[in-house]
Amino acid sequence: MQKIQKPGDLVTTLLVGLGLTLLAVGFYFALAAPPDANQGYLARIMYLHVPSAWVGYLAFFSALLYSAAYLIWRRPGLDRMAAASVEIGLVFLGLALVTGMLWARPTWGVYWTWEPRLTTTAILFAVYVGYLVLRSAIEDPDLRAKASAAVGILGAINVPISYMSVKWWRSLHQTQSLDLTTGKVHMDGAMVLALLVNLAAFSILFLALLRLRGLLEKRGGKLVSEA
Amino acid sequence: MNRTSQVSVTSRSGAQPALFGLPRVFWLAWRDLTLEFRGRAGLLAAVFFLATMLLILGLALGPLRSDLEKAAPGVLWVSLAFAGSLLAGRAFGLEVEDGTLDDLLLTPGSKEWIYFGKFLFQLMLLLLVALALLVMTAGLFYLPLKAWPALLFTVFLGTIGYAAISTFYAGLLARLRGREVLLPLLLFPLVVPVVLAAVRATAGLAQGLPVAEVADWWRLLLVFDAVYVTVCSLLFPLALEG
Repeated sequence: MQKIQKPGDLVTTLLVGLGLTLLAVGFYFALAAPPDANQGYLARIMYLHVPSAWVGYLAFFSALLYSAAYLIWRRPGLDRMAAASVEIGLVFLGLALVTGMLWARPTWGVYWTWEPRLTTTAILFAVYVGYLVLRSAIEDPDLRAKASAAVGILGAINVPISYMSVKWWRSLHQTQSLDLTTGKVHMDGAMVLALLVNLAAFSILFLALLRLRGLLEKRGGKLVSEA
Repeated sequence: MNRTSQVSVTSRSGAQPALFGLPRVFWLAWRDLTLEFRGRAGLLAAVFFLATMLLILGLALGPLRSDLEKAAPGVLWVSLAFAGSLLAGRAFGLEVEDGTLDDLLLTPGSKEWIYFGKFLFQLMLLLLVALALLVMTAGLFYLPLKAWPALLFTVFLGTIGYAAISTFYAGLLARLRGREVLLPLLLFPLVVPVVLAAVRATAGLAQGLPVAEVADWWRLLLVFDAVYVTVCSLLFPLALEG
């Protein structure tokens, strides 16, 4: 008989709880924030679009760190976490792409246009889809970990390109309202608050999902080795 | 008979062992080029594929001269990228077929030189193909060759970035089943920035813009080349080591 395991550890449970609570608070703030001067209520999609894109970038950055750490210390756990980061990153970057398209249709008149931010983001998405395909193609766990770590590191070069694309190529997509490189804020206080709460909620949810996915992989691996 | 051992790296440079990587890099590239020209299959297939592709593209986009001229830079680089993905497998194909990859990896000293040797080999192949391609696009798509030194420089920078990535992935996937499918899938998203910058530079030159206006794209290409070559050569030993 196999011992029934607890569904997760305490830290993960707390993170999930905190993330979901903040998400609800963020939702309230997002609806309570004043409408945009030009776009009106339409701009509220920003409170979903920006945090998803942020978590996408954050996840790929975390995949970079875990991949580099794997190549240094060669611990299977690090490889699992890198894979988990990429999976979560793809989900959130996909969400950012979809919400971006929904936002683009009423403001720019089209769902998709070949401008730098959209193109670099789509490329970023393709790079990490390749990462997952590569993982599924290799059976030997050692080789899989090494190869995917290399792809995880190389692929991360595209993250700063995608982030900076709106500045380098003065594109159709607007520039950052909360600029990480200069620290300038270009929006109303209530909107900043709503955005920050949502960013925090999404980031905490990312950590929670990462830990959950890591646990799941670990137990899956244990079951396989026991069988 | 083992093809790869007919032209040996270690026996010729054996007089000066492991200490200096540079001669070995050239010998490895030289050996692979010799084998490639003796075999001919890879290069010929790539050039023939390119010729067919250009004909199809010409039929699809033409026959108006203005349309073809507009498409020429894009056609040049897309064809080169496709041909490159055909040639990328050549970097480690023979080593795996003949089982000499392990011998190569067991050679004393650091592993970076293997990467640089293969990189040089890929670069030479790509440059040869690119030259043929340049002439063919000039003929079929009216790409003006008047600014040929600047065009050659663009091609040179573009192929460096492409070869850096393709050599790395070819090595990484050398022993995998289904590498022919995986290679383009991993390769293309990463080389898009290189291809984009190269297309823009080529388009600028084709329109007769002065070199100063194209220099921005060259700078971008240089940055990508430097980043890709550095990162790939650092990762190569870590990712390949048995």
